Amino acid sequence: MGALGKPIILMVAMYMFLKFVLPNIPGSAPLPSSLIALYLLLTGSGIVIFETLSKESKDAFWSPIQRFLTGEKMGGLQALRYGVLIFFPLLVGWQTYGSTAVSDMPPTESRTIHPAPPGEYTGLSNPVPKTPENIMQGKGFYAAYCSPCHGGNFDGKGPAARGFIPAPANFADPTTIAMLQESYLFWRIKKGGVGLPIEGAPWKSAMPRWEVELPDEWIWKIIMGEYDGAHQSPRTWE
Amino acid sequence: MKPANQIMKQVLRYGAVVTVAMMIGGASLGYAQESVSVRATLITGGLPLEDPNAAVWSSAPPAMFPMSPQVHWQNRIQEVTVKDVIVRALHDGNQMAVLLEYADPTQDPDDAAALEFMVGDKKAHFAHGQPMLQVEGGPVNIWFWKNKTDKAVDMSAKGFGTLKPQEHQDVKAKGVYANGTWKIVFSRNLSTAHAEEDVQITPGEFISIAFAVWDGRKDGSGDLVEKGSQKAISSWWYFRADAPPDYSGYMYAAIAAALALGFQFVLIRKLKKGQ
Repeated sequence: MGALGKPIILMVAMYMFLKFVLPNIPGSAPLPSSLIALYLLLTGSGIVIFETLSKESKDAFWSPIQRFLTGEKMGGLQALRYGVLIFFPLLVGWQTYGSTAVSDMPPTESRTIHPAPPGEYTGLSNPVPKTPENIMQGKGFYAAYCSPCHGGNFDGKGPAARGFIPAPANFADPTTIAMLQESYLFWRIKKGGVGLPIEGAPWKSAMPRWEVELPDEWIWKIIMGEYDGAHQSPRTWE
Repeated sequence: MKPANQIMKQVLRYGAVVTVAMMIGGASLGYAQESVSVRATLITGGLPLEDPNAAVWSSAPPAMFPMSPQVHWQNRIQEVTVKDVIVRALHDGNQMAVLLEYADPTQDPDDAAALEFMVGDKKAHFAHGQPMLQVEGGPVNIWFWKNKTDKAVDMSAKGFGTLKPQEHQDVKAKGVYANGTWKIVFSRNLSTAHAEEDVQITPGEFISIAFAVWDGRKDGSGDLVEKGSQKAISSWWYFRADAPPDYSGYMYAAIAAALALGFQFVLIRKLKKGQ
């Protein structure tokens, strides 16, 4: 391996790691290609700095690149060199076209799924005693008012759900009610989609504002029934 | 140490792999979102303003959107006939036509359908532009067709109970039923003189659109099942009228490629001269 071999292996390994390994680490997610490009750029810059620390390493690093560009002592690789010299401007042109062409994509939308609740809806505890009767009553209210969208199985797949974007929350999913406090659910059920702050994109939510139809006590019972039915527990700070 | 030739071969091989992988990664993102918008294709020649069966509709790509029963506010409905709508659109730079299509086993006198648009830059709730806690909401522009009159009513709303026909009626509609399918064409000029209440359609710009359908079937006692707020509805989706073709991207690409070529030329010359 020459002075160029290691950097190339390092760059490829870095790319493979960012693209294929990192997204599979639990709790991680696929990286956007722009972030991968940024990391590769940083890796590349680091390599260039490292390789040019001493005169010897600098020469060993640059001389094969220079020989390739100038075409000295190329032998059979001359055709490849011309290929690269033609390919590079075409690539630049293609990239430029891609970045200036009018996009067919609709505007991207960012929506905060669990925006911060107003102060008066933080830290409330459920005033309804957690008895089997109350849980059962809560499940009854849930079946009547919530299950058309959130589903009889608490999975967000009710018969009325299909047309709604964002989709009704799946309570069995550990990233929904399991990471929220009862007080948060009370706010969401009471005020509905239209009660969301701007970052929650309230104009898209089909969640009704139940405060106009249901007494608070019923809402607290529904919350109890939801946690029980979805086999989840509310988040607590203890 | 390996000869320079072999090293350069490796550089090119790995470089090509990385480049191709990035192209594939980037390109696949482009297809993921296409079904979220209606694309009004630009055509020359007459728009089929009154003809839902015109052959030219095949030149507009169909977009399919799922429907839900209206459960957001009272009076709700738990089940509706229409599960999906298929939407196509055409425009000629002055006028636009939208073809709304849905499956319905029966041809009832009371079928009705509507398109809803956000007006201007304001965000409006899909349920008649009702007020939200932090967003004023509305207005929305609703184009309502009913089979009984086979006409469109151009309406505005800023929340429940505020829906009313506009003074200026700019929209036309024509519906036909055949083979278990309703097809309704809505048409209007792209822009109108009343920007505060009418949606203005600028080719190339995305606007928000939603759909509603009332199947005119009756229950055992002869009452309409779907009426008023009891209807099939959709969420907000996007609508865009195609902009006229723009070739400036090719020019920019050619300039960039020429600059890159020039850069290579200068660099190699300098290297050959010895730094």
